[in-house]
Amino acid sequence: MRALAIARASTRRIIRDRTALFFLLVLPIIVIIIVGATVRGFSTFRVGVDSVGSGAAGQRIVTALDHSRGIDIAIYTDQKSLTTALARGEISVGVLLPAGLDAVESEAKPATVTIFAEQVNSAQQAAATAVSSVILGQGALVQSASFAAAHSSSSYNQALALATSLQGTTPHVGLRNVSADTSASTLPQGYSYSAPTELVLFVFLSALAGGAAIIETRRLGMYERMLAGPVRARTIIAGEALTYFLLALVQSALIIVVGAIAFGVSWGNPLAAAALVITWALVGAGAGLLSGTLFRTPEQASAIGPTAGIALAMLGGCMWPLSIVSTTMREIGHVTPQAWAVDAWTSLLSRHGTITTIAPQLGVLAAFAVVLLSVSSLRLYQRLR
Amino acid sequence: MAAMPDGPLLRCEKLRRSFGDRAAVDGISLSISPGEIYGLLGPNGAGKTTMIKMVCGLLEPDGGEVTVGGRHVSTDLSVKSLIGYVPQDIALYPDLTASENLSFIARLYKLTSDVVRERVAEVLELCELSDRANDRVDSFSGGMKRRLNIGAGLLHHPQLLVLDEPTVGVDPQSRHSILERVQEFGRTGMAVLYTTHYMEEAERVCNRVGIIDHGRLIAEGTRRELVERLGERDRIELSATGNLEAFAAACRALPGVDSVATTADAVQVVASDGRRMLPHLLEAGEPIDVTVNAIDVTEPNLETVFLHLTGTALRD
Repeated sequence: MRALAIARASTRRIIRDRTALFFLLVLPIIVIIIVGATVRGFSTFRVGVDSVGSGAAGQRIVTALDHSRGIDIAIYTDQKSLTTALARGEISVGVLLPAGLDAVESEAKPATVTIFAEQVNSAQQAAATAVSSVILGQGALVQSASFAAAHSSSSYNQALALATSLQGTTPHVGLRNVSADTSASTLPQGYSYSAPTELVLFVFLSALAGGAAIIETRRLGMYERMLAGPVRARTIIAGEALTYFLLALVQSALIIVVGAIAFGVSWGNPLAAAALVITWALVGAGAGLLSGTLFRTPEQASAIGPTAGIALAMLGGCMWPLSIVSTTMREIGHVTPQAWAVDAWTSLLSRHGTITTIAPQLGVLAAFAVVLLSVSSLRLYQRLR
Repeated sequence: MAAMPDGPLLRCEKLRRSFGDRAAVDGISLSISPGEIYGLLGPNGAGKTTMIKMVCGLLEPDGGEVTVGGRHVSTDLSVKSLIGYVPQDIALYPDLTASENLSFIARLYKLTSDVVRERVAEVLELCELSDRANDRVDSFSGGMKRRLNIGAGLLHHPQLLVLDEPTVGVDPQSRHSILERVQEFGRTGMAVLYTTHYMEEAERVCNRVGIIDHGRLIAEGTRRELVERLGERDRIELSATGNLEAFAAACRALPGVDSVATTADAVQVVASDGRRMLPHLLEAGEPIDVTVNAIDVTEPNLETVFLHLTGTALRD
């Protein structure tokens, strides 16, 4: 009852603080949008094309690329600007259509289309493959037209028009790409990546920054006033822990609801997701209490707390997947609770995880929560006595 | 208010508390009866706040015991419901309204929602802040905050009100208002422990005064009892320029001078028959080039008592 009164007063103060509200509710959504839009996966590739002088044949390839699903075309007027754009990462692949492609085609001579791609990651490799596929498709049309023109009375252009018109109706060998569901490497993409990782990041970060409220309450003499009444130190600790726990839950719920409604994030098995949110909120509550007893001034907590939160988030895979870092860094990352929480979310969002499959992560996070809450409660108890 | 017990409500027995090697409170015993306003008078650092924290159960004594209504403060949590604590600094949430602050504090005493509403309204009226109930505390003046700070200690209708220097930094009008309220509390039967280093406050509101210095209670009694201890002594204040320490030493050497203390611009002397002593005091300053600018000879008061007992001025 008294702990509830303390939690209510503390929550009311935080809700009334516009800066705290911004960091608690608005900033996470903004970051989810930004990171989600950046980490979009491999569904759309930006392809640069230099088709100067390639004539109608070149234009046909450009149109084919443009009509291909998942390819956005950017036109360049020379090879240098094309390769520069590739080097800057503005495009995934560059396509150089040779000048005079028209004449080469109609004379049935071999032609070479150059594809520039670094292919250092799977996105670029996939883009190069997609572009190659379109160009080879166009090449097949040209071959068919050349063959027909050579063995009939039709001109090359008539044969090409015929081949193009038949392309949609002639049975062809189809190609379907299926990602193997190897549970070791599958990662959620886009908002399904950013929403859970930002949840992990911001719940912890907000709790660390929120430690300032405990310091301020102590400085205001409010704890002393409480203790002068029939209130035990452990009641105050319970009230403060409850505040951070509830705020973490509210923040998580907001991110989950906004993620699901606005960004179409599927949060996986509801029971497992709820267990993970609650366990992570307990970790956040422990971190918030600890911050309130570690730092001496509210300013220290507000400045150092978020910095520490971001550093731990980086190590723990909230900024980029730990699967892309070295084994050593991955092991170091798992010293942080963030890494375990992100692992659990990854399992839920992209591997159909259940409460059983994330049980090890939940266990580790529960241990983190117990340690953080115990240490911080002890420290706060000492401060109150 | 609940029925008052017979005899003293607050009883402190040989209270001791040290911080490191320094004894902040060294064997103080005192008692306060219902309706009595007890002033604990002493300079900064004398041990007043330590004493108050032990009375309120905020600090565990190294020795001795505190009982309120016959119950031990350190072992019986419920006894704290009998105590209203008003800390020296404003202990309110600045970003909550007056009403929210009071409601929160009232809930700590397990009052029901109806009673909380009633008490909050009552205290707001007592503090003359009813019209500002829904304003944030950080928009209040210093005096308004002080009044609300006191009001917060009254929400649960305590039998013992403990006020730790409640008028520090308060304008004269607010101070007057606070002192009147404290006198009213006494009249309603509440026992009040009031610490201050303002002599005139203690003289005005307290029925009984304890003088505390270096952690010890060096005198206790009503104002009259304390002043009578001085006999026919007077307090002489010599506002002067020059080497005041040397002047004080010269005064101290004169026969008939009981005690001497210096402030920033004056030397205060307690002596028998002050008017007869005056020429001798002025002569004492001549060889050391001290210029006396003003002289004030007053009847003995608590300040004279304090000076006589401790050899220091209260506001040092």
